[in-house]
Amino acid sequence: MNKELEHSFVELLEKHQNIVHKVCRLYTNNQDAHNDLFQEITIQLWKAYPKFRGDSKFSTWMYRVGLNTAITLYRKSKRTITTQEFDAVQFKIKSEVYDDTEEQQLKQLYNAVYQLNDIEKALVFLYLEDKNYSEISETLGITEVNARVKMNRVKTKLKTILNP
Amino acid sequence: MYELELLKKDWRKDDSRYPKLTYNEIYKMILKKSSSIVKWIFIISILEFVLWTGLSFALKDADFNKKFESYHAESIMIPFMALGYIILAYFFYKFFMNYRTISVTDNAKRLMENILKTRRTVKHYVAFNLIYLAASAFLVLGIQFNRDDQMIATINKATANGELFKFYALTILITFAALAIMIGIILLFYYLIYGILLKRLNRNYRELRKLES
Repeated sequence: MNKELEHSFVELLEKHQNIVHKVCRLYTNNQDAHNDLFQEITIQLWKAYPKFRGDSKFSTWMYRVGLNTAITLYRKSKRTITTQEFDAVQFKIKSEVYDDTEEQQLKQLYNAVYQLNDIEKALVFLYLEDKNYSEISETLGITEVNARVKMNRVKTKLKTILNP
Repeated sequence: MYELELLKKDWRKDDSRYPKLTYNEIYKMILKKSSSIVKWIFIISILEFVLWTGLSFALKDADFNKKFESYHAESIMIPFMALGYIILAYFFYKFFMNYRTISVTDNAKRLMENILKTRRTVKHYVAFNLIYLAASAFLVLGIQFNRDDQMIATINKATANGELFKFYALTILITFAALAIMIGIILLFYYLIYGILLKRLNRNYRELRKLES
């Protein structure tokens, strides 16, 4: 791989690195695991980069590679996160104006999302990233109708976790 | 769902919570080696090919094989071995063709299917080897019954004592039991390795398949 390619890739990833951090945030629950997954996604992105033709946005391409690495290629098994562990998660929830109720709600929400399975998390992730159902279906390889049905089920599941 | 909108607001609001890696830190990462399951499947598969092929070559030099040559069973064994090599070449070709189709930029379901397809090829290769092993064992036993001087003497002795059926039954049973134990251990080994390696992939693939059914 030539230096020019390395340089353009590292520059692009440096700029869009938050996408990878967000995937790691959803699929790991401690700093070491976060770093580990970040590294694996970076390697996978780099390996696939020579075939990246720029016909899609770099960020869109990153979503796919990032999620594929997290739900398919990543070897380490996840641990179930508990409420107690959640407080130890590196990324504490921030609120513009401190609102105890809203902060509490967010904390419970993130906790509920952590209890979802890998595919459900992928749906939530793409939803949070404002992807439409067509993009969600293309990323996961399911039909658009099924992506909608599954998303509704995920919403119901989240409600059940929040209000048992 | 109001809660999800609240989550989305928070999710998209503040990017400063994430660590900011520098150019050099990212550059160092691309020089490191992957530890993905595809890489592990590739390594284990290559080891399997090397092991089984190596085993067949190692057995060629064993004393037993020299003794076996005296049976003059080439007309049976050479086609049998040639068939083994042709099938090995077929599996090797299929494995590499499957491996080349694995792309991290495919959609999640296709990526999982391609990995499982590659894995299935190796699984079939192992199954073929186990069947080939069992077939070889019984073929060799059959040849020995007919052409091994020591064996013929024992058979004659057993016939004189009226224990021919007992002798055949016992020999076949012992061979069968030894093979069953060996195959059992090998299968358990594979089950554990691939079970651990593909646990997450299988679970997620089942989940995606469930959606489509």
